[in-house]
Amino acid sequence: MNISTTWLREWINPTVSDEVLAEQLTMAGLEVDGIAPVAPYFENVVVGYVVSCEKHPDADKLNLCQVDVGENNKLQIICGASNIRTGLKVIVATVGAVLPNGLKIKKAKLRGIESFGMICSESELGMAEDSEGVSELDADAPIGKNIRQYLDLDDNIIELDITPNRGDCFSVLGVAREVSANYGLPFEMPSISVSVQGTSSVKSRISNTTACPKYLTRSISGIDNTVKTPRWIADKLMRSGQATHSPVVDITNFVLLELGQPMHAFDRKKINGSVEVRNAKSGEKVELLNETTAELKEDTLVIVDDKSVLAIAGVMGGMDSATQPNSTDILLESAFFEPVSIAGKARNYGLHTESSLRFERGVDFAITELAMDRATQLIVEICGGQASDINTCIDEASLPVLAPITITQDKIHKVLGFELDAKWIEEKFTSLDFEISAKTKDSWTIIPPSFRFDIRLPADLIEELARLYGYDKLPVQKLSLDANINVVPEAQIDKYDIMQSLVARGYQEVITYSFISEKYHNLVDANVNKIVLSNPISADMSVMRSSLMSGLLQSVESNQRRGHSNARFFEIGLCFDGVEANKQSNKLAGIVSGSRFNAQWASKTVPLDFFDAKADLESLLELTALAVTFTEDEHPTLQKGQTARIELNGEQVGWIGALAPNVAKELSLPKCYLFEISLSAVLSGSVAKYEAFSQYQEVQRDIALVLNKTTPVAELTDGIKALQQSDFVGVRLFDVYMGENIESGKKSIALNLTYQSLEKTLSDKEVGARIDEVLNLMKNKFSAILR
Amino acid sequence: MINDILSRAKGSIEKAQSLGELEDLRVALLGKKGELTALLKGLGQLSAQERPKMGGVINQAKGVVQDLLTQRKNNLETIELEKRLLNEKIDVSLPGRHVEMGGLHPVTMTLKRIQSLFVKNGFEVETGPEIEDDFHNFTALNIPEHHPARAMHDTFYFDEGSVLRTHTSPVQIRTMENQKPPLRIIAPGKVYRCDSDITHTPMFHQVEGLIVDTDANFAQLKGLLIDFLRGFFEKQDLKVRFRPSYFPFTEPSAEADIECVICGGEGCRVCKKTGWLEVLGCGVVHPNVLNSVKIDSEHYTGLAFGMGVERLAMLRYGVSDLRLFFENDIRFLRQFK
Repeated sequence: MNISTTWLREWINPTVSDEVLAEQLTMAGLEVDGIAPVAPYFENVVVGYVVSCEKHPDADKLNLCQVDVGENNKLQIICGASNIRTGLKVIVATVGAVLPNGLKIKKAKLRGIESFGMICSESELGMAEDSEGVSELDADAPIGKNIRQYLDLDDNIIELDITPNRGDCFSVLGVAREVSANYGLPFEMPSISVSVQGTSSVKSRISNTTACPKYLTRSISGIDNTVKTPRWIADKLMRSGQATHSPVVDITNFVLLELGQPMHAFDRKKINGSVEVRNAKSGEKVELLNETTAELKEDTLVIVDDKSVLAIAGVMGGMDSATQPNSTDILLESAFFEPVSIAGKARNYGLHTESSLRFERGVDFAITELAMDRATQLIVEICGGQASDINTCIDEASLPVLAPITITQDKIHKVLGFELDAKWIEEKFTSLDFEISAKTKDSWTIIPPSFRFDIRLPADLIEELARLYGYDKLPVQKLSLDANINVVPEAQIDKYDIMQSLVARGYQEVITYSFISEKYHNLVDANVNKIVLSNPISADMSVMRSSLMSGLLQSVESNQRRGHSNARFFEIGLCFDGVEANKQSNKLAGIVSGSRFNAQWASKTVPLDFFDAKADLESLLELTALAVTFTEDEHPTLQKGQTARIELNGEQVGWIGALAPNVAKELSLPKCYLFEISLSAVLSGSVAKYEAFSQYQEVQRDIALVLNKTTPVAELTDGIKALQQSDFVGVRLFDVYMGENIESGKKSIALNLTYQSLEKTLSDKEVGARIDEVLNLMKNKFSAILR
Repeated sequence: MINDILSRAKGSIEKAQSLGELEDLRVALLGKKGELTALLKGLGQLSAQERPKMGGVINQAKGVVQDLLTQRKNNLETIELEKRLLNEKIDVSLPGRHVEMGGLHPVTMTLKRIQSLFVKNGFEVETGPEIEDDFHNFTALNIPEHHPARAMHDTFYFDEGSVLRTHTSPVQIRTMENQKPPLRIIAPGKVYRCDSDITHTPMFHQVEGLIVDTDANFAQLKGLLIDFLRGFFEKQDLKVRFRPSYFPFTEPSAEADIECVICGGEGCRVCKKTGWLEVLGCGVVHPNVLNSVKIDSEHYTGLAFGMGVERLAMLRYGVSDLRLFFENDIRFLRQFK
């Protein structure tokens, strides 16, 4: 909300600068987003009266004016504005003035005729972005008066960011109350008097008193709504960011800003029969003031007459029944709508109004009558007319309950860490209009005022005291030391250690959006649940990822486009297989593309392949010391024949493989290798356990075998391990060969077997027997023949 | 004759240019068929009186030759080593054979740093789902259905009524549902708001903190957060101020500002000329929140705080555009090692 400090100071005027006042408001919880002067600094600018205006003899577009600037001082000024004319009151910058745009006003000669000043537009004074012609002042503007004083330009606009709990501060009255409580200064309500004649000619009733406990109307007849809104009202509206319309509308807006009570004025002659407040019926429509037609829902509270819907209650009035400049009789409305009945309704119709903003957060239900009188008084003063008495519909039982709240010194101490002075507490409660209904020496029972919808619990009272004391002055304490040691299981591997080891292997971490495009979903996640956002930012971000692969592919693609062809990326993040908590799990995925090393003098540039990616993943799996297997399988994103399913204890935990050529083509990507694994699979390690090692020599034997090309080597080595031979230490593959001297469809592999006994050095014979057993297995089970 | 042999030997040994040549000389002089060996063999022909005398002379000569050989050998070895070293000389300024290091994402670096500061203070790390239900994201946090605060959250919805969590606060609820106080946790993670412009990305990161204890109070919350912010920015006299604010799930609620780390509080574009930067929100957990998870709000006090990770990363590393964090341009990412 924007509030003019001049207006605020008419209510309460602490002897501090506007800047200090703004700072105080911020520190009291009314955050000031900015403070800006109404007009930038300038001087020697006064009200002038155009005594005469003739064409410049030598210039078609210029006028030669005689301008009275007071003190019997008549200036000859040349002016080019099209609206300049005799009898106009204007803004004159006299010689010596410096305008906000830096222009210095000097005596000048234009086409041979001297000019002693400049007649200004609003934009030239920095009061408007742009304006047409010179500014036309009211006819009663006093000649010679300093324009800053005349237009109240020494005013600042404070932009307040009011939090949702402080609906009471959406008015000058509300902010004045805050200033009063902060500075300990009193303020007075404007004096309001209305002379009433007769009863209101429109009957009204409320059908939904829960939503509308209080509804007041009053007729005012015989007004002249064509008069000009007085400047003191128009300026205040404009400085609060509101446009001006007709006096009646301006006055209702003025009261909204002044007292926080949204009001509405219907054209009395457009109302058929009586007025009712009820819920809309299905199918009802209303054309609103913003020229849109709303199809009403049954949860929406409306104001209707005997024939049609007049307004959406608390949100916006209807076009048909709106007050027009030619209206002579009006029906003024001042009501209290329950916040919950208004909350979200404006948004449902794509509306956001000053009225709904206030009703949603809570409008003082005790100010309804006062606001009605304030508006009536101003309308009668400005437009004339005859006001009726107020037609009041009220259901006391439905009004918010102001239940007493008790706060103890103990509770204050418990929450804030210290005690507040009892006298100070009472003073502050009083300054906030909290009624102290009972008290002891260390407890107080208060009744909150009708405008504070946020004061319902002892905690709310503590916040009030704390903010008036000043959060910055509240004590600071150390957190008491927690004596418990947080035990993290040693077998649990730290996520950051996993990340760091990938970083050491050249991987750059990326963080990509959790939502992907439908295209990526179909390419990467086609086989899984499609979880679609109802209100995505864009189609590119509309489906929740079930895999990290799409983000990694996009990262490679975008960097590739920028000319970075070598990529090693990884990401850890949540992936989604459903909306339930147990369908969301963390995965770790990596992608490599390009060459093994960046071009360098010491190594050849070799293209990356499957086994680079696998080595990186294996390096992580080594930390876990768990039995992970890689089995050839197919995956829609990955290349057939270069893809493995990763299993841990027989359960699938991930995938590794080359990017499928069709996907690569679709996304214009180079050859990529990807792996993805459930994060939990790489985080569960084990605690090390010492085993005695042998003092005797180990014996190694190499064997070369020829076997079918398609037989996975892992099956052979697993088979050897499964023999569980005594003194067996390990088997290591050290060569795979296909080509010359090897029959086609076959491959040759070389295995190194190691044996070592804890008791003795093994003899050739002992080792030979074991090797024979291995060779038999190779031959019989895998048709692998010793070469 | 011996002198003759000696002077010849001396000459040739000194002239020898390689260890091989020297070995040939040794064989020619001292070997089985060597000249001096032959002389010794010839001693038998001498008289008994002459034999010892001559034997002494020959042996002495052998010693001299041996010394000459050894000396020359050492010289030659030194020369050969020098030669080899010269041959093996490398350009030590060449870069090492290397795999270029990768790096962590700056958001991860910041999260890790925040986490380590709190873990040292006895906090445990908790996480929760990112697709949340209405209860955990809103209702349990004292944000009932029609609360104006819901409108401020720009929530992403799913048809089923679930939402993408708009803050990490639901982890507070999940933790309090499953664990008994005293509690001291932080919850780092991704959050989502349906908003995208220069200063908003639809996904970002927060770290939530929660303390529930019988003697926790607002003064401790202030103390903890001042310590944290000074630690995070490594500035022991960093000015921190607390302002009243509003969050539905805390009462009293506060926002903490730090003196602008860009201009030092003088006023600049980043702090909008105020000298202050808003960095986190915090407060005493609202009794309704404790009640919603059946924790006795008379007995226990909860303290909660939440901060935006990208905001802290931007201030810490001087990043001027939020959107860079999710573009994953390696020219950006490589700057964080």
